[in-house]
Amino acid sequence: MRKQPSETVKRKNIRALCLYMIAAAFMAVLYSQPVYQFDTALYSKKSGNTFPGDERYVEARAEVDAIAAEYQAKNHQEAVTVSEEVIQRVNSKGETTSMITFRVNASTRRTGWSFMASGLPSGRILLASVIAVGLAILMTFISLAGQVETAPADLSQWRQRLRQASCWLALLAIMLVPVFHFDTVYTFERQIAVPMGVAPGAGHEQLLRAVDAFLYGGNAGETTAALVAQVNYHTLWTLWLLLPVMALLLIQMIRLYKNALKRTLARGALYLFIIVLCVVILYPYYVMLITAFRNNAEATDMYFNHIFPTKWVWSNITDIVARGVPRFLLNSLLLSTGATLIALCCGIPAAYAMARMSFKGKKTFLGFVIMSQMFAPIVLLVGISQLMNFLGLNDSVIGLMLINAAFNQAFAIWLLRGTFVSISPEMEQAACIDGCNTVSALIRVLLPMAAPGIVTTLIFVFINAWNEYTISTVLISTPMKKPITVGITQFSSFNMIEWQYLFASALLATIPVVIMFMFIEKHLVAGLTAGGVKG
Amino acid sequence: MNSILIRHKWEPYLWLLPSILLMTIFVIFPIGIVFKLSFSEISKAGIVGAFTGLENFRLAITDKVFGTVMLNTLYWVASVVILSTLLGFIVAMALNSSFHGRKIARSIVVFPWATSLVIQASIWNYIINFEYGNLNNILMNLGILKDAVNWRASYQIEFLWECGVGIFVTIPFVSFCVLAGLQSFDDAYYEAATVDGAGFWNKLTKVTLPLVRPSLTVSTVLNIIYVFNSFPIIYTITKGAPANKTDTMVTYLYMLAFYDQRKGPATALSVIGFVILCIVAGAYMVISMRKDETL
Repeated sequence: MRKQPSETVKRKNIRALCLYMIAAAFMAVLYSQPVYQFDTALYSKKSGNTFPGDERYVEARAEVDAIAAEYQAKNHQEAVTVSEEVIQRVNSKGETTSMITFRVNASTRRTGWSFMASGLPSGRILLASVIAVGLAILMTFISLAGQVETAPADLSQWRQRLRQASCWLALLAIMLVPVFHFDTVYTFERQIAVPMGVAPGAGHEQLLRAVDAFLYGGNAGETTAALVAQVNYHTLWTLWLLLPVMALLLIQMIRLYKNALKRTLARGALYLFIIVLCVVILYPYYVMLITAFRNNAEATDMYFNHIFPTKWVWSNITDIVARGVPRFLLNSLLLSTGATLIALCCGIPAAYAMARMSFKGKKTFLGFVIMSQMFAPIVLLVGISQLMNFLGLNDSVIGLMLINAAFNQAFAIWLLRGTFVSISPEMEQAACIDGCNTVSALIRVLLPMAAPGIVTTLIFVFINAWNEYTISTVLISTPMKKPITVGITQFSSFNMIEWQYLFASALLATIPVVIMFMFIEKHLVAGLTAGGVKG
Repeated sequence: MNSILIRHKWEPYLWLLPSILLMTIFVIFPIGIVFKLSFSEISKAGIVGAFTGLENFRLAITDKVFGTVMLNTLYWVASVVILSTLLGFIVAMALNSSFHGRKIARSIVVFPWATSLVIQASIWNYIINFEYGNLNNILMNLGILKDAVNWRASYQIEFLWECGVGIFVTIPFVSFCVLAGLQSFDDAYYEAATVDGAGFWNKLTKVTLPLVRPSLTVSTVLNIIYVFNSFPIIYTITKGAPANKTDTMVTYLYMLAFYDQRKGPATALSVIGFVILCIVAGAYMVISMRKDETL
């Protein structure tokens, strides 16, 4: 790396430091601004047959004003306002009627600091964010002391570590801000204003008291829950302004740590992408997992607000065992094993010939294999079921095995040929010269060396057969012979789906194949390369 | 020399025999049967009658839902293949760079490939449920939504969801094909390009794309075939309802053959589908091969 003159380094560091200080100061200001607004209706009164300005109106208005004043006296912090809504209608007799609704509203704004002092769970999150930023700032200053002229790469190790740690802390603090927002909403929407018929969770009382103290200065008491249910709360722009300001702070920290920004940001973007990707991919599996262990009431509860089931219902598993799922799994195992064996027994010799021998019609055979890929079983179902009728293999697992093996031939030959091609034929040639025939050369010499590729193919075919659904659903009519993919459909009838059983069975059907696939994932890439690209 | 000694001229064919036998009986015969049936009269009970020429094709094409179904098939194949190739390519690029936890990320990306489509589709079916689906549940818990949203408000939206699930389950296949291509050449190309001062965009279009084109071609051709023939997603989520408005060709012909017992038009549709597939996949292969030659 180029050595930078200390003048440049100093200028860069000072510039970063200045921006950094500005961001920090701005952040402190933002925290003392209101970040949330709560609009509450404290009281409402409907006055019928009242027109604006008449006697009844004056009377009602005075009453409402008195109540508003009472609230104002009790609670000095917020502005209590009175609003009125006039509804006029012409009734059937042609007379105009009027009704006025008076509302006493309180609009409260809360700053970041007051959230932190409130003892609400979300307040603690905000507090953690502030502490993280504070620590980060402190650490940067310690690492900076007397070293403004030193380039980041020349710093002593502990100073570099300190600057690195401050970057991570600042990142953590940024991420806690949206968490704070979501937790606040969650508290008010889900934990306090519990929907009708749902039992409040543990700690509800304590939470109510904290909210009472936070919003109503401890005056609401028993009525807190009812009051909060009417609260309209919204985030103010100051909270979201915190994010860019904190990002600015983080960027300056990275500058002070690395002296360069582009690479770090690119890495950050990469990690962000990977994390989002993994979360999105795992999301349906998470849903499957939690649904498999909930009872039906929780699985169909719109207001379910836990990450995991409140009680893990293991009896779902015993229930599906009683309803024939082990039998389906066994069928699937039988079917997939059979299909794999047949596919390999036919595929290995073919792949061997394709890899090692030159003969007329090699290209024709390749075309034949590719063409067989064009036809998925679904398009041929009518033909297949006729053929199976003719062979007497309708409604039999053996028929399924053969079909699955046949439709997986192409991939099997492709993967195996790739593996064989990637292995040098010298060993076999030597064996042949020693008097070994081709069959024993294949079995004794090539197969042991090609083991990883063969296992990959084996698992690949197995999984395809295990996951196959369409042919089985048409060919198998006896319930006892159904493979698992068809078997799970028994839990979903037209008007009712037993989600917990459906997903418990799906979970049992998914776990083994996913684990198998993870094993071959690495070899699969190699197999695809060798078979597809180099060919 | 890559081949081994062959003692007899017929020996290679003996090696191929089991494979050829298996595929002939269980792939070629059904193809033959389907072609034959498409030109024959079939009774509701499945008894094959006399040769009827193109009657079955006429019946299939003049059916009033034929247009909708073909259009749906076009949307389905085009959207799933194009978007999953694009996204899969990005995922492969990300997985090809080195970072902490790369092995774990690669294992996770492979998940949807390893899962049965019926199961994936069932899970998404649950997720987008209006009354208690997990998507509404989570978004409401986070306060992003105030009230439950009906994610299946119309059949167009349901069809979009089906395409989305299709893309979701297809991405791993594409990314692993591309990843295989990316890992088959070494980093020297990149380093050379970097030394020459090429930016990210230049490296992508001038180095990466030409090098992975063969694997991209293979994955796209296979993808067109798989997606065209994909059945469980649409069958599980909407079953083609309402009134075949979300059917693609394969779900429609399944319904025709096994629910309506109209096997004649169904086999005619199979043949039409096969011809279309051959033309599209063949054309794509020819075009991309030609591009390869001009490189």
